[in-house]
Amino acid sequence: MLQVAFVAFWLAMAFYAAATVLYAYQVATKRQALTWYATFATGAGFLLHTASVGFRSSATDGTELTGANVLVLMAWALVLVYFLLEHMLKVKTYGVLLVPAALVMMLIAQVLGASRSVLADVTAEQAALLDSWRVGIHVALIAFANAGYAIGAAASLLYVVLERQLKARKTTKLFSRLPSLSQADKVAGRSALWAFPAYSAGLLLGVLRAIETDVSLWWADARVVLAGIVWVVFAAYLVLRWRHGWQGRRGAYLLLIGFAMVVALAIVARTVPVGFHVFGL
Amino acid sequence: MHLVLIGLSHKTAPVAIREKLTFPADVQPRALASLTGSHLVSEAVILSTCNRTEVYAVASDSDGGVNAVIDFLASFHELDRHELVRYLYIVTGEAVVRHLFRVVASLDSMVVGEAQILGQAKTAYDYAQSAGTTGKAFNKLFRQSFEVGKRVRTETAIGESAVSISYAAVELAKKVFDTLDGRTVLVLGAGEMSELTLKHLVANGVSGVLVANRTFERAQDIAARFNGTAVPYESFYDRIRDTDIVISSTAATEYVITKADLAPAAKHRSRPLFLIDIAVPRDIDPRTNELSDVFLYDIDDLNGVVEANLEERMAEARRAEGIIDEEVAAFYGWVESMEVVPTVAAIRAKAEVIRQMELEKALKRLDLSDKERKTVEALTCAIVNKMLHGPTARLKKLSSTKDGYMYVDTARVLYGLDDSEDKQGPGAFRNLLNLRAREIVERHTETGEGIGDCGA
Repeated sequence: MLQVAFVAFWLAMAFYAAATVLYAYQVATKRQALTWYATFATGAGFLLHTASVGFRSSATDGTELTGANVLVLMAWALVLVYFLLEHMLKVKTYGVLLVPAALVMMLIAQVLGASRSVLADVTAEQAALLDSWRVGIHVALIAFANAGYAIGAAASLLYVVLERQLKARKTTKLFSRLPSLSQADKVAGRSALWAFPAYSAGLLLGVLRAIETDVSLWWADARVVLAGIVWVVFAAYLVLRWRHGWQGRRGAYLLLIGFAMVVALAIVARTVPVGFHVFGL
Repeated sequence: MHLVLIGLSHKTAPVAIREKLTFPADVQPRALASLTGSHLVSEAVILSTCNRTEVYAVASDSDGGVNAVIDFLASFHELDRHELVRYLYIVTGEAVVRHLFRVVASLDSMVVGEAQILGQAKTAYDYAQSAGTTGKAFNKLFRQSFEVGKRVRTETAIGESAVSISYAAVELAKKVFDTLDGRTVLVLGAGEMSELTLKHLVANGVSGVLVANRTFERAQDIAARFNGTAVPYESFYDRIRDTDIVISSTAATEYVITKADLAPAAKHRSRPLFLIDIAVPRDIDPRTNELSDVFLYDIDDLNGVVEANLEERMAEARRAEGIIDEEVAAFYGWVESMEVVPTVAAIRAKAEVIRQMELEKALKRLDLSDKERKTVEALTCAIVNKMLHGPTARLKKLSSTKDGYMYVDTARVLYGLDDSEDKQGPGAFRNLLNLRAREIVERHTETGEGIGDCGA
């Protein structure tokens, strides 16, 4: 079963790589005929990705919540959310940023050993900590929230690039391929608006689990501190955007800062072996 | 079949000449009937737009066809033939196909990539079809040209960017606001260009129109035409907060909108403000572009956008030429199948295949000596050759007449020379015979021997 999961994992990456090339080529040349193939490659990659997660979970009697495997789940959530976005907006530009982002996450997960055919090393103490439904939902909510933040960041990045071009009054070839300012701003705001409650609930569940298992100084863990900072940045973003009119450029920069914190947290979570929130490093 | 094209366009003739040579809808039937009344012209289509008049014809003789069309143009419009010829271009043969495909793909238009020409060509073809002046050649050629037009538009980005100042403004507004539905525009001053831009913005969904002019009556006049509201010129700043787009084209010699005056209004907005300054001298302080979520484009900026878009269109036009090369080759593949020589060769080869098959079957049932076998073989050859001689000789002769290719086409249908789409039963057998016939043609082309010579 693990071997099947391994093969499906690599095939999924191959399809995501093909989709990345097709999305990029479609944006560069505006050949609409390619969009179907790009969507097909992403869809095929997603199905294989799902199969890989399913087979692996089946082989390990439950989904492993190690750093590497959670990264695979985050990539899966990102592609799923991207598909929903593409379906709603009929805009392919985001695929150029999000599908390769999912691919990179899977590659890093592979480097960290996500597709290895042996189980990750988790101590008895960690296994006890993970043994709760709350942890599974905590991970799922954080994964989907991060996917939302990633989409918000992609939209903000596109906003900043287009805004600069409009201000400079220089329309490069890229100009006509970018979504409009209003749409990019709306996607960024709504992504953060949907992701934030999921992130908050995910954090809350994690905190509850840490408290009920009597983890000492849980709040001093670097990951917890960073997650708190991420929460504050996005809370500030939403308040400023909806209460103080921080739409457009200022909002886009703040959202990009928030996402940079998410990336920093993801790196710290998988590289710093200090604290209670260390699983299978 | 000789294809002929005589025409003039914005590239060869001034409007004073072009306007004399138009063929409006009501005169097309008479003109087409007059054109095909000539014994030299069998099919005709007249494409008449504001930038070009082109007469496409199928003629039995190339030079004769050219003269017949020029005579028609001169006599129909009562123009001096010698004067007219100075402005005309004459295209014959394969170049006609390429020219039509380029025209329909909008590569020969005044504004490369404009979309109207495809519809105009379709209308011209419809007129000709209704008048009964299209046949097999033009039905194939024009229908294929429409496919070329569609391919070029879908496979390249030739028609996607704005190439006029007013459309460029609309395109930029859409880049800022995504959709213009429900947006509000404030017009300062009343110039021709600002009205045109306003017209395009309203056509693209802008619903709120505010007009401010030093002469209030003039503002009321424009506002009434666009179902908008006239506002006093002195209070236009108060309305900017409710506005998404400002078009300014006053005759003022100093800035009408300054950064200092706009800053308070811009600060309290939570959405972008798009400023279009088409006045010379400029109405809007260029430093307003430094304000957050304010985007200012003056006439030079809009011209720059148009030029960049035109460059992009030219790059796409080069890609479109590749599509046209492919389509011209495809059309000539079809034309070649309509030529008499390959058709006669195909008839003879097919007859030869059948002769050989039947001879083989008969010889298996007979016990003949070598001499007898050769005699029977010569007999079958003679029968086939004599049977085919008359029809193929007449086909060669008729093919050079006015509707010659129709005889060739009929012969191809009667002898089943083109492969059947039916892959079962008789269709499959026909395709097998055609395949073997093609092998015979190829072999005889290499050796230079005549088909059906039977080694005589």
